Amino acid sequence: MTARACAWLAAAALLLTANAEPAPTAPAEGSSASNALARELLRQLIAINTTDTPRGNVTMAAEAMAQQLRSAGFSPADIQVLGPSERKKNLVVRLRGSGQHQPVLLIGHLDVVEARREDWSSDPFGMVEKDGYLYGRGTLDMKGPDAIMLAALIRLKQEGFRPARDITVALTADEEGGGANGVEWLLQHHRELIGAQFVLSGDDYSVLTENGKPLFFKLVASEKVYADFQLRVTNKGGHSSEPVADNAIYTLIRGLDRLAAYEFPFELNAVTREYYRRLAQIESGQRAADMRAILRDPPDAEALGRLSRRPLDRSITRTTCVATRLEAGHANNALPQRAQAVVNCRILPGHSPEEVRRQLVQVLGNPAITVSYLASDGALLDAAPSVRGFAPPPLVPEMLMPLDRLVAQTWPGLKVIPCMSAGASDATHTSAAGLPTYTFSPLTVDPNDDREHGRDERISVASFYEANEFFYRYLRTLTAP
Amino acid sequence: MPLRTRRLRLLGLLALLLNGAAPGAQRAGDAGDSAADTLARDIFKQLIEINTTDSAGNVTTAAEALAERFRAAGLAARDVVIAGPAARKKNLLVRLHGTGKRRPLLLLGHLDVVEARREDWSTDPFQLIEKDGYFYGRGTLDMKSGDAIMSTTLLRMQQEGYRGSRDIILALTADEEGGCCNGVEWLVRNHRELIDAEFVLNHDGLVGYSITSEHGIPQEFDLSATEKTYADYQLAVTNRGGHSSLPRPDNAIYELAEGLLRVGRYSFPFELNEITRAYFERMATVRSGQLAADMRAITRTPVDAAAITRLSRDPELNSLTHTTCVATRLEGGHANNALPQRAQAVVNCRILPGHSKEEVRQQLLHVLGDPAISVRYVADDGKVSDSAPEQRSLPPSPLLPDMLKPLESTVQAMWHGLPVVPYMNAGATDGIYTRAAGLPTYGVAGIAVDRDDVRAHGRDERVRVASFYRGNQFFYRYLKALTAP
Repeated sequence: MTARACAWLAAAALLLTANAEPAPTAPAEGSSASNALARELLRQLIAINTTDTPRGNVTMAAEAMAQQLRSAGFSPADIQVLGPSERKKNLVVRLRGSGQHQPVLLIGHLDVVEARREDWSSDPFGMVEKDGYLYGRGTLDMKGPDAIMLAALIRLKQEGFRPARDITVALTADEEGGGANGVEWLLQHHRELIGAQFVLSGDDYSVLTENGKPLFFKLVASEKVYADFQLRVTNKGGHSSEPVADNAIYTLIRGLDRLAAYEFPFELNAVTREYYRRLAQIESGQRAADMRAILRDPPDAEALGRLSRRPLDRSITRTTCVATRLEAGHANNALPQRAQAVVNCRILPGHSPEEVRRQLVQVLGNPAITVSYLASDGALLDAAPSVRGFAPPPLVPEMLMPLDRLVAQTWPGLKVIPCMSAGASDATHTSAAGLPTYTFSPLTVDPNDDREHGRDERISVASFYEANEFFYRYLRTLTAP
Repeated sequence: MPLRTRRLRLLGLLALLLNGAAPGAQRAGDAGDSAADTLARDIFKQLIEINTTDSAGNVTTAAEALAERFRAAGLAARDVVIAGPAARKKNLLVRLHGTGKRRPLLLLGHLDVVEARREDWSTDPFQLIEKDGYFYGRGTLDMKSGDAIMSTTLLRMQQEGYRGSRDIILALTADEEGGCCNGVEWLVRNHRELIDAEFVLNHDGLVGYSITSEHGIPQEFDLSATEKTYADYQLAVTNRGGHSSLPRPDNAIYELAEGLLRVGRYSFPFELNEITRAYFERMATVRSGQLAADMRAITRTPVDAAAITRLSRDPELNSLTHTTCVATRLEGGHANNALPQRAQAVVNCRILPGHSKEEVRQQLLHVLGDPAISVRYVADDGKVSDSAPEQRSLPPSPLLPDMLKPLESTVQAMWHGLPVVPYMNAGATDGIYTRAAGLPTYGVAGIAVDRDDVRAHGRDERVRVASFYRGNQFFYRYLKALTAP
């Protein structure tokens, strides 16, 4: 996935857990066969390079999984491999239910970010088990969760389970980048295939641990909107032997100085409100008091001041914008003709990138600094999208209650904490289409060892099997007649 | 000279000194002049057509070609020396003996040129093209015209059997524009005896010219007698970085920005030297009103702070009276969605004579006032080091009457009413090496270039045909005057 702040919650969550210990779950009947299948699916997926490079091919992965589904007894009519380009096809499969409820859609992406053999200890495109871990590009982000979703679906199918609602799984292309985002394409062209009451995305691990101890179970139910802006100052330049007052670099950095001092307004939404409400019960002392104080109306200013000094709380309660790149000048001995910066913003739900762009213009307070929107394909636009980020969906009981219960069973003492992620994943697209979207995958990861997009990406074997079992049970409960 | 060394233009204002006197019309040349012009053009063409860039070029080839001419003209083999540290980077040294009544005079020029790409140019940069009253080609201004003129002058004197009151040494060298093997530096270090002189005339005064003109009308003759020192510093802030979704107060870009803003607000101390003081004193007599009063005020002791403030608003006058440092480049961050792990800036300084690069580095540290911002010195070769050279740059060369009087009279004879104005270069020419060796050095050339048509280092570099010939005649006359028995 593109960006996530929730993973960083671990920093805040130290106090949450204390007593949570993983309880060994007795393997249910069929679980060991399902684990073997999940592992085989994962092995197969890892071995297919699905990067957005000439070597990568998402369609091959979609086809391989389609073959597995056919072998497992799914009707070809319920399996679709489709997409806008040869190498970027998506898989959509449906387990038919009684139609008592509206369908649930599970989404996962098949593409992975690039991995270079020379950077890795083992071949990133060959799954390797070592010291209790499965290594390979995508083990965590997110071929592991893909395999788990498919394994659960197959297990239900083979059990002859008839859910109360159709379960649709869409495994898609170009979440990580590239021009053919599968979720977006399916929504535009095959909405009928993926219509649902709500969506579960597996694109974020949920059980956060520290020093091997689970801290909490993260349920992402809201997202900030990711937006990059380019600040630019141009100048006629000149020879550096005669500095003049009007200098592109100084103009830009005076603006950045103002930006650094600026705070966007404090704002809570249903998810972050619930986040602080639950956290305040677990925290103690000043922090717990501060959390309660900001939940009051109006929020207590001093408590807010204290909380906002913590980057995590600041990012949960405010839109943030930060300069991440600088570039200026063309020669050491010439006055700069151009100075530019990238400012990366994470926008609270309910606000649009264009609104933030205008606010940046106001904060910078200098018409000489232009603020353009930097689209994900690199295009520079004078104005940003004016679509507002989506208000968080309600935490519907039919989704949340089974999750609360199963989490408590699996990890006694562990709490589900709803939270807001800091940037765009495919949930952005489904939310935009009006489908309430919740993101979790019951994998256990120590955020300090989060290797997504990095070298030697891995998941623990035990956690993979545990998550596989968990997800099957959850799906079964969720769709029980 | 490297463009980074572009001079500080002391003035367009000095044109006022002309007081209505029209620059003298060109005198009809005598037979010697016309033969010398033909020879100069011949040498000029030969030099332009030898590629002497640092990349594909060969300076030694040019040095050899000229050496051949001097030997053919009858100079003794021992007075025509080719020497240098690298096969493609050899320098030419020629000595025309005088009576020895006075100490020798060293003429300095560089044979190398900066790169020129055929596709950027309207004509082949390595062909001398005459078109519409201009000579085109790489080096027509910077400074093969000067090389040709100085060589011609010596050849002409040799042919005349001229014996001046002092030896005249001509050094035409490699790598002034950059490269491994700066010829002047090498000669000073390895063959000081060959170039020892009472003073040095560097034809590379501005970029191969000394006369600034407007629409072809000479406005001032700039006599370069001192220069600022060029120095680049790298300011850097490092940070552990992190995900941009969680901005923290500590941020490499913001920290650097705050430091640079302090540098931007800071002004180095006001300071005059012999050259700039002479300039302001002189200017005060021709300007009027507040400006004249301010110029007077800053030359008095104690100086008038308000006058300095007013004058310093003019970037040119500010640069003349202060060391300046300005941010010229920025670089920071590695991904749009990651907090920057590093932010850095290049700050370019022009240091007044008498101060060292390390002194300025220390002052930058003091102004930044943030130990998290490192300030390192960036050498010419790009190497970055923790400290800068501590050697102080030399004070201006004294305006020796032996050099100045004949200059003024020659200039007056050729361009009646044209003021000779002392000036300070904004950066290093090869004069830094000779000054450092204790040789007073002056930039002098008789070539005129329009203020807005200086194409040194640029495309379609050119020099006016008439100006080239006039510069040739000037140099011969000035040298005769300088070495009159």
